[in-house]
Amino acid sequence: MAVNRREFVKQGSAVALTLGGSVYLSRIGEPASASTPSPLRPPGALPEDDFVSTCIRCMRCVDACPNHCLESMPHTAPAGRAGTPTMHPRKASCMLCAHEDSEYLKCTEVCPSGALQLIEREREEITEKVAIGVAEIDFDLCYSYNNWSCGACFRACPLAGEAMTVGAWERPTVHPEACVGCGCCERSCIRYPHAIRVRSNV
Amino acid sequence: MILQIVRRLVQASVLLVTVSVALLCLYAHYRAARVIDDDQLMAGLRGEVVTKMVHPYVDRLADPQAFLDGNKGTLWSMRLMGVDIADPLAAAEMAAASKRIHWPLIASAAIPIVITLLFGRVFCSWLCPGYVLFELTGKLRRLLRLAEIRPGEVVFSHRNKYIGLFVGLALAALFSAPLFALIYPPVVISRALHAWVFGTSLVGIFVVLGVIVAFELFVSPRWWCRTMCPGGAVYGLIGWIRPVRIRLNADRCTGCRDCIPVCEEGINPITQSMSIECDNCGVCIRHCPDEALYYTISLPKPRGYRPTPRKIAALVVVFSMFVSVENAGAHHILGLPHYSYKENYPQRPTLEYPAHTGPYDVLLTSYPGSPVPGEAANLAFYIKNRETGSVYSQPITVRILQTSTFGDNTVVQPAMTREPFDNEYKFHVTFPLEAEYVIELSMPVEGRVEVIPFLMIAGQPTATGSVVAAGAGGFVLLFVVARAVQKKKARRRANAVNPNAVLVTT
Repeated sequence: MAVNRREFVKQGSAVALTLGGSVYLSRIGEPASASTPSPLRPPGALPEDDFVSTCIRCMRCVDACPNHCLESMPHTAPAGRAGTPTMHPRKASCMLCAHEDSEYLKCTEVCPSGALQLIEREREEITEKVAIGVAEIDFDLCYSYNNWSCGACFRACPLAGEAMTVGAWERPTVHPEACVGCGCCERSCIRYPHAIRVRSNV
Repeated sequence: MILQIVRRLVQASVLLVTVSVALLCLYAHYRAARVIDDDQLMAGLRGEVVTKMVHPYVDRLADPQAFLDGNKGTLWSMRLMGVDIADPLAAAEMAAASKRIHWPLIASAAIPIVITLLFGRVFCSWLCPGYVLFELTGKLRRLLRLAEIRPGEVVFSHRNKYIGLFVGLALAALFSAPLFALIYPPVVISRALHAWVFGTSLVGIFVVLGVIVAFELFVSPRWWCRTMCPGGAVYGLIGWIRPVRIRLNADRCTGCRDCIPVCEEGINPITQSMSIECDNCGVCIRHCPDEALYYTISLPKPRGYRPTPRKIAALVVVFSMFVSVENAGAHHILGLPHYSYKENYPQRPTLEYPAHTGPYDVLLTSYPGSPVPGEAANLAFYIKNRETGSVYSQPITVRILQTSTFGDNTVVQPAMTREPFDNEYKFHVTFPLEAEYVIELSMPVEGRVEVIPFLMIAGQPTATGSVVAAGAGGFVLLFVVARAVQKKKARRRANAVNPNAVLVTT
């Protein structure tokens, strides 16, 4: 079939405009800003770059989380992250499927793409493989470090004694090597703004 | 005719399944939080639907939890009654973006692939919710034509979608992030339905649908499905060897060409029903006055597909990749309090609003996160020096203005000055109306006064822009309908024989 110039420009511009528009809308060409930390990902997530390329944005983990702690990132998220699952511990934290009877952590079990690797619901496996982030304390805000005594975060910690210990006046200390970043401490902190928050590992 | 009714029912049931799966997931969340019996939390439409329409039926099942675990996801990848189904385009795109093959995903694309191998592009014409929307757009074009506003009839090449598919996959590989996942209409629609059920807002993604609908309405009929859809391209390529096809009985065809303008894919059913563009929708069969077009099951001509041992082996491999999902009962190991749904638990979600000035990081925290008009809201400012790590301790001043679309902002809370308490500044304020406000913070920084505005929305005020857009859209539609009626009447008058005129001439 002979293609004349007019036809070539017409068809070519239709394809180019569509794909260009898609690239713009999905914001995949936009780099992540260096100042914003990478979002908190569900348990078993691949490293951030691999996660963004592997996750198919089907929202199954969002559906599966029994604590409803995952949500899909908004359309305005940069660097092609729109639609990927993230977690805001202040709204709802990862409960490590503590109240469930499943063999695996539920989000990892439903993931079809391998972006979330299977994690068995065993204490050893959880402490070893779950790496959502690490909790960080702001000592200027924490009541226990400012002439009060609180201890809410320590009581919420599912790995209390390992990931978090408390000293006098219930002053919390986070042990980064054991902390899985579930965010229960951030969820439970009674201060506004919260004095303890989970920071992603990346 | 019956087939078209069945097709509509199937399309409707896909939408129903998408909404039901989302509703089941919502119910699963409430169930996991053990709040189904909590009248206060289950108030409102969403709670009513979950408690009255979902809970009684699911709870009656032998193993409700297993049933709930078996239904998750959107049309991009869904677990339906325990079976994983994924769109082949999702599998292809993920392989391109991550440059590796994840076998479970390929396996879950097997059901659509097998169906397409047998029936062709039926996922387009029988299942895709985007196709429903664009069919309706096609119907709207008729209204435009009736009103004698001629919509554009630009025809693009069917080949564009294959080029778009491959270039799109290449772009996904280049950027290492999926491109189609956020613009592919069925996924956009199913994600929007999901968000609607869950009560979250996902306005941004409607841009895609709006652009396509507008383009199809005014420029090129059925542009997306015919010439641009990457999913259609994938299904077309897979459905190349389909045994179920539409055939033409050349002896009965009178050459009236009634089937050509009705074809959803813009092909000529008389000559091109064997092409990969045909999606087996059967609209041409319904419109054929001579019953010359019919569905048939026939293996393709010798030139086409011939099952060789290698191809059969490939099919066996695809089938053997099905791995059933089993849930084994496991032991209970961790003991945690469960808070999430109990909003009265002291740590209600808050709104955090970061800002920067000079060396200082300013964090405004509002409790509750979205203030209720007329009720007290707590604002806390926490200001910290980024470089030294020390907390700011000078007095700060705050005033609140209500924004106005036309004219100046009005002050609703005059300036208040506060000293820090426990390293932060606390303000108790009331936002009087459902509106947008600006919280204006003035703080001395290095000898001068910095003013930082924070936008705050109380309640759910209606944005002026969307009101104007909705009003204008409604007005345009009214105009088109009125014009259509007027033109139709005029045509009828012109066609009718005028009795007076007849009398005069004879």
